[in-house]
Amino acid sequence: MIIKDKILEVKNLTHYYGEQVGCEDISFDLYQGEILGIVGESGSGKSTLLKCLSGQISPSQGIINFCIDQNQPLQDLCKISEQKKRALMRKEWGIVQQNPRDGLRLRVSAGGNIAERIINEEIKNYSNIRHKALEWMDKTEMEKSRIDDFPLNFSGGMQQRLQISKILSSNPKLVYMDEPTGGLDVSVQAKLLDTITIIVRDLNVSMIIVSHDLAVVKFLTDKLLVMKSGMVVESGLTDRVLDDPQHSYTQLLTSSILQV
Amino acid sequence: MIDGFNFAYLDEATKRMIRRTILKAICIPGYQCPFGGREMPLAYGWGTGGIQVTASIIGMNDTLKVIDQGADDTTNAISIKNFFKKVCQIKTTEDTENASIIQTRHRIPEKKLSEHQILVYQVPQPEPLRRLEPKEQETRKLHAYEEYALMHVKLYEEISHYGSVIKTYAYPVRTNRRYITDPSPTPKFDNPKMDFMEALQLFGAGRERRIYAIPPYTSVKSLDFEDHPFEIQTWDERCDICGSNNSYLDEIIVNDKGEKKFICSDTNYCEKNIKT
Repeated sequence: MIIKDKILEVKNLTHYYGEQVGCEDISFDLYQGEILGIVGESGSGKSTLLKCLSGQISPSQGIINFCIDQNQPLQDLCKISEQKKRALMRKEWGIVQQNPRDGLRLRVSAGGNIAERIINEEIKNYSNIRHKALEWMDKTEMEKSRIDDFPLNFSGGMQQRLQISKILSSNPKLVYMDEPTGGLDVSVQAKLLDTITIIVRDLNVSMIIVSHDLAVVKFLTDKLLVMKSGMVVESGLTDRVLDDPQHSYTQLLTSSILQV
Repeated sequence: MIDGFNFAYLDEATKRMIRRTILKAICIPGYQCPFGGREMPLAYGWGTGGIQVTASIIGMNDTLKVIDQGADDTTNAISIKNFFKKVCQIKTTEDTENASIIQTRHRIPEKKLSEHQILVYQVPQPEPLRRLEPKEQETRKLHAYEEYALMHVKLYEEISHYGSVIKTYAYPVRTNRRYITDPSPTPKFDNPKMDFMEALQLFGAGRERRIYAIPPYTSVKSLDFEDHPFEIQTWDERCDICGSNNSYLDEIIVNDKGEKKFICSDTNYCEKNIKT
């Protein structure tokens, strides 16, 4: 890979909650269009890591460098102002929450939810905004006729589709997904994963997906970090890690998948 | 003046504090400045904010006009006028032109105001984003960082559901190309009057303890989309009393059969129209 395509560089990232370790000494690089999975049991520090990476909490130690413009040098996430961080989250980055109700405005119509990220890009023309919103609903395979309905009345799968439309509508460079298919039934999950894969490959957007579902990870990601007790115990290409697990915890994890 | 009260009811230290807030508000057009709002001898929602602002700026030589929904003769207007007569012994008037301070609820006078006048608004809810974002901490950030997409989402929603923006009062404006401001519940008909108004506009919200201001000659633009531009209300009817066809009209049901008439909401404007 060429250096200039690097969009995230994490070095020795550590976060403590008082005495308690959140995550410890984590390093990795993420390149344009790459999808990174983070797996691990509950309490292994996945969410802490995600919160650090997305600027929601500032880490106790370590460096998170990110790149927006290839011609610019990498910037340190911990050193930019809150204003810049918020602007970053509104356009260049996005978080798909596990519970779509956290990422959506339930009393604003589906179109309005998508519009919010589009309006951020200074589009002040109603027809253009609406047209773009419809386009995104189509891409995520939602019924266009539901554009004026409230997400409050949507099914879980539809809400998640809407949340993904909303985040992707601003053409982000990097998307964080926290258990994107958690709480959905298996067939809905499969369809959603299909949609995500198609769109993401099409847009060449980079993603970091946190999940405890190995099937999701295997399906979506290129690289994988396996976490336990706040540390990365194994990392590498997803196929390699899952087919030939080295660490005892990864071996336990892969052998615990239920076979149907 | 009645004994036991300072001029204009408030003590001098309070007036000074409010004047400092007003100065700050004028320096940052449209920004909501917190102030230590005092208890006033009337209920919140009846103009406690406006009264405190008026009390802090009023002097012996001022002439006060108070209007409520454009009218000089409604309960709220008359009570506030009487209050200031009692605690200041200043002159009051119904004539828009002769007033140096005009305290208002829900209207801007039809007559163009001049540089020598101050318009004081009574404001129930100073935060235009409040209904969209309930947290004060968050709305302050939205203002500070100019993150105003939410407001346009609101307009988007109204156009999608009703075909046009249906907000007819407290229609949000952008002051001096910076802060999104609530013009208080004035009808949107009055929004264009705020743009480059010659008079100083002061807004007092008593319950929420906020003061904001629009200095004279400041740009005030109503929010809209390019393809759904801002429009003011229009009427097919004329005022039943003075025949005006360019003032804000109130609809009044005149009998049990439901017959209605339209009359000017600005009573002083209407009266003067009849005389000329």
